[in-house]
Amino acid sequence: MTPHVLDQLPLWIEGDLGASEQAAVEGHLADCPACRVAAEELKTSQAWLREALASPFNASDQDRLRRRVLDQIRAEAPAKPVRRYVLRPGLLLTACTASLLIATLVWRQGGRHEDRPLAMGPPPAPPVAEHPSIPEPPPLVVHRLTKPSTRLQARAAPNQESAPPPTGGPSRIEFQTKDPTIRIIWLAQSGPLPDTHQTFEEKS
Amino acid sequence: MFPGSKSALMEEGLSSLPTVPADDPLEQLVRRIRAGEIDTFEHLMRRTEARILALAWRILGDRHLDEDAAQETYLRVFRSLHAFRLGESFEAWMLRIAVNVCYDLARKRGPRSLPAETLDVLEGDAASMGVEETVLLHQRRALVQRALSSLPQAERAALVLRDLEGLSTEETARILGVRPVTIRSQVASARAKIRVFCSRLLNTPPGGRP
Repeated sequence: MTPHVLDQLPLWIEGDLGASEQAAVEGHLADCPACRVAAEELKTSQAWLREALASPFNASDQDRLRRRVLDQIRAEAPAKPVRRYVLRPGLLLTACTASLLIATLVWRQGGRHEDRPLAMGPPPAPPVAEHPSIPEPPPLVVHRLTKPSTRLQARAAPNQESAPPPTGGPSRIEFQTKDPTIRIIWLAQSGPLPDTHQTFEEKS
Repeated sequence: MFPGSKSALMEEGLSSLPTVPADDPLEQLVRRIRAGEIDTFEHLMRRTEARILALAWRILGDRHLDEDAAQETYLRVFRSLHAFRLGESFEAWMLRIAVNVCYDLARKRGPRSLPAETLDVLEGDAASMGVEETVLLHQRRALVQRALSSLPQAERAALVLRDLEGLSTEETARILGVRPVTIRSQVASARAKIRVFCSRLLNTPPGGRP
């Protein structure tokens, strides 16, 4: 008689052995009552396993689940679209360049005031406005160094300083923040940028 | 977590899944949902919800927890639908997510205890109830549930996917992120343990307890 196949029975029962191994196990079972009993027990336990784990959920359970899930995803859908937003490379490059330029100019502007002594006393009281409840928007100054567009001129503040006539070069927009020591300058040009230091000195 | 470890491989979308033909109906639904047809998710659910609920029941064995697991599975599916690789089996991808959700909930739940009703039947006198088929059915279910609860989590998941969900060894291995030889070993061990539990009832003499 061939050796017992008890160790192989758990794989044999569901056909997980190779063809030759399956045949060898079946050949042994034909001659071995002990292994045959074990194989029968295994068949029975597998049948009980499938019987015990039959799904207890019915159609109403499925409906309830579907309603809960769909309510949730419909609430999420407007805030979280399924499709990923893809940044266009050109837009991304422009945004990065503009951010870098603004950060550089602000940093250089801040560096000019480093030598000022720190104010030790309380900060000066802000000037009293006629309508204190409505904060006054920071003045916006737009300098067009090239051919000005009507849209930008319309957005310029009424107290716009007189800019030198356009002589060619980048568009320049300055934002004066509430802090008089901080001014944000934005330059935009399709070609190479001029020497920003020189441009800044011209303004001074 | 070490690269290639089981936990790493079980992350949704890392290890490859079985492939499907281009006209797979579930994949068509996925394409429509990705295109913004949110209502198509209902069709997707109708095709798959019975299987997901059954899988949760077979791994967790707790009706209330199973419904929570199925709900969380679908929410994760929806939220990470963009990560699904077209051409792979969507159903296998969803089963992988469901198994991970069940693992998470099982970890939060802690050691599992059988429902009192089940234990009552199990501890009852087998001889006095044995003639009733319904009682026997409850007894068998209780025994199998107890046997399943004694299995390590990985063995139970492998057994459920291979023997109850009808997946092949290779498909089970891909879903669970392990090698096929590991699945063979796990299901063999699990089947042998279930058989030992069941043999207690099979070999119970009349009037004895399982």
